[in-house]
Amino acid sequence: MTTLIEAPPSDADGLLPSKKKPSGGGLGTYILVRFFLIIPTIFILVTLVFFLMRVIGDPITAAQGGRLPPEALAQRIHEAGYDRPILVQYLEYVGQVATGNFGTTITDRRPVVEMLVTFGAATLELAINALIVALIVGIPLGLIAAYKRDKVPDALLRFFAILCYATPVFFAGLLMKLTFSIWLGWLPVAGRASTRTELAMGSLSAPTGIYWLDALRSGNVAAFGDVAAHSVLPAVTLGLLTAGVFLRLVRTNVIGTLGKDYVEAGRSRGVSNFRLVTKHAYKPALIPIITVMGLQIALLLGGAVLTETTFEWKGLGYQLVQYLNSRDFVAVQGIVVLLAVIVAITNFIVDVVAALIDPRVRY
Amino acid sequence: MAMNKKAWQSVIALAGVSAFALTACTGPSGGTGGSSAAASGPIAYGTTDKVTALDPAGSYDNGSFMVMNQIYSFLLNSKPGSADPVPDLAESASFTSPTEYTVKLKPGLKWANGHTLDSKDVKFSFDRQTKINDPAGPASLLANVESVSAPDATTVVFKLKLANDQTFAQILSSPAAPIVDDEVFPADKLLDDDSIVKAKAFYGQYTIDTYKKNELISFKAFPDYQGVLGKPANDAATIKYYADPTNMKLDIQQGNIDVANRSLSATDIDDLKKDSKVKVNVGPGGEIRYITFNFDTMPFGAKAADADPAKATAVRQAIANLVDRQAIADQVYKGTYLPLYSNVPSGFLGANESFKDAYGDAGKPSLDKAKKVLTDAGVTTPVSLNLQYNPDHYGKSSGDEYAMIKDQLEKSGLFKVNLQSTEWVTYSKASRADEYPLFQFGWFPDFSDADNYLTPFFPDGGFLKNHYNNPTVTDLINKQLTTVDKTERESTIKDAQNALAKDISTLPLLQGAQVAISGSGVKGVDTTLDASFKFRLGTVSK
Repeated sequence: MTTLIEAPPSDADGLLPSKKKPSGGGLGTYILVRFFLIIPTIFILVTLVFFLMRVIGDPITAAQGGRLPPEALAQRIHEAGYDRPILVQYLEYVGQVATGNFGTTITDRRPVVEMLVTFGAATLELAINALIVALIVGIPLGLIAAYKRDKVPDALLRFFAILCYATPVFFAGLLMKLTFSIWLGWLPVAGRASTRTELAMGSLSAPTGIYWLDALRSGNVAAFGDVAAHSVLPAVTLGLLTAGVFLRLVRTNVIGTLGKDYVEAGRSRGVSNFRLVTKHAYKPALIPIITVMGLQIALLLGGAVLTETTFEWKGLGYQLVQYLNSRDFVAVQGIVVLLAVIVAITNFIVDVVAALIDPRVRY
Repeated sequence: MAMNKKAWQSVIALAGVSAFALTACTGPSGGTGGSSAAASGPIAYGTTDKVTALDPAGSYDNGSFMVMNQIYSFLLNSKPGSADPVPDLAESASFTSPTEYTVKLKPGLKWANGHTLDSKDVKFSFDRQTKINDPAGPASLLANVESVSAPDATTVVFKLKLANDQTFAQILSSPAAPIVDDEVFPADKLLDDDSIVKAKAFYGQYTIDTYKKNELISFKAFPDYQGVLGKPANDAATIKYYADPTNMKLDIQQGNIDVANRSLSATDIDDLKKDSKVKVNVGPGGEIRYITFNFDTMPFGAKAADADPAKATAVRQAIANLVDRQAIADQVYKGTYLPLYSNVPSGFLGANESFKDAYGDAGKPSLDKAKKVLTDAGVTTPVSLNLQYNPDHYGKSSGDEYAMIKDQLEKSGLFKVNLQSTEWVTYSKASRADEYPLFQFGWFPDFSDADNYLTPFFPDGGFLKNHYNNPTVTDLINKQLTTVDKTERESTIKDAQNALAKDISTLPLLQGAQVAISGSGVKGVDTTLDASFKFRLGTVSK
């Protein structure tokens, strides 16, 4: 039996491309498009928050509604300009934001930008602490789970991972506080530092607002220890949320890598399973962590709202709750814009990194 | 790959070091602040209140006023343990004619920054309050001031619109009246907190040393202060701000703060009463809670289909006969609120218990009286009531409070209550737009005088806009406001309360107590929990 094999088209016909063209454009175009997508993302968010905040009422009624006659209340609302057409207020706000003027908070009269810088530092510190905890817990345990695949430790670790990201942050926080602060008395109940430490760091010239750094700069060992003690519970509470994701991700990827040809080759040459996991299989398995780490920022920021409130960690999340309760829409809008910028920029960086690692994402 | 390897090693190393740092530095004490402070050390005060602004023209709330009381002075102020205004910056103060109130200042006063404090500052302070008239400020309290003049460095003359205003001395010690430095504060706009702190524009028991808004404030005693409060019992103090009262409760129990004040829940306070390490200090409270009746839309109200003023009055009186205030105070608020039997709470000039005398059985509910009043008026029972309350402004316990009121009324068989709650911003508007026939409201006084529980409420329906209007009551209220003779004024205030108890524009339910928790060895907290409602850090020592 003979098989007919079609001859490939002749090059002379000019039908064969000399070089395959990418269908999705170059890396530069891809990065540019991703970058400019940040603007509409933030704009949509700002718009949404603006109108949502107006729905829940104005801060003057929230504060004085139970004291003033309706006419006096209306007068004050008028003086503050909250009775103007919503579209006028919106356009005015967008115009201000476009020039970098986020206004002044209504309930505590501080410039929004100053407030964002002050409390952003605290949230950044918490996020970094939590990420460190997530990496310390998630990666080694993920490796162990992969190494002990389908055995009791693996099952226990998978259950632990589910527990980590399924437990509400505030509940985990309260549980930790109850255990380590109240029952055992090992760690402080709340706050970022004791009063004494805060006062000591308050005398620093140009403090960064990141207590780890400020405590180091002060050269005060006791202050550093105090800051560290106050950091543990919030960092662990928020960090475990992401640690669960990391644990499962590392486990899955390591197991996947262990099935690769080069690992099989190593195994056939007598390399031990332990060495294969710790030396050869885990490195490629960690690459997706970079991508996921970026995506976890939004989760961390969301979790920070509850963690900061639970532990009196005075960051953006803590302030957001305070301002929401008092209907301070200027402050809420400022915080949401900043959070949106952080998430959008992080995702942009993740997209770029992913594109650099794997060119297929551009097609 | 080499770079990758290094990068990962760095990450893991950093993580390892951080983990070590995170855990190695922890100790049993958990870095407590203040617990080991010596007797001469600063007093640590905790609160959940917030500061809006340190500029007296820009805020009108407990959190801001508490700080102002430490760093500013008034022409008149009250000594700890009393609510009666006495000269503070003033040497003397009195009416020099029915519409003229003259204040003589102490000579030689200086602000903490070295500027001279004289009558120019006083005139400036009142003028800018009125000029700025900030929506969040207390300028409305100065409505009776026509003008302020400073004929010489130590004399200030207030020209009043209403003659013999008996509340004016209280106004001069109210949130509208802290005196500010005219060389620091602008005349027509607010000054931000940091500028005030930087300029050391203070004249009070304390100056501010460190200011982290709504996080931490540290105070130092001001040695040149010559006001009525005298030298503070401590040489320094701090205020720590909390979001969650539970964290504050834990801190006072663990000795991290010396005083916890505002706003612990009734359950937390009840729990703290059982803790031997802390003391629960209770003082008179000016806050009141009450039910408002809309005279147009309540059952048989003026605009109801079956309008009948006599029946409407009977319904209100029957409710007054059935409500068990003591049960609410004990079971819902664990003693943090007390039963209130009049529109003017106890502790104020002329306060009586007009509702206790007129309704129920010596403070207990009376079903017989309730039945009788409805039967006599020819009201068919059960009467349907739509009762509104608000849980997010008046506290979560409002739900329990109003569930109990519903139960008390329905148990009688005379009423069928439809209980509803609404979010605050909507609630505060709808309640004064005739949307609610019966609704919960609360009040915290602007200043410590019985008038503040009468004038804002009842003449021409007051701020409640509930269509209540009794010319006799209005006359009595106006009369007490300008009656110079104290005994006569007291008698008029009582008459007004008795008349109000007959009409029941509002049904007084509860009077809040001031509750502050003090730590082990802390003294002087009870001294400042008086009817002035001003917490003075200077009374506290340990």
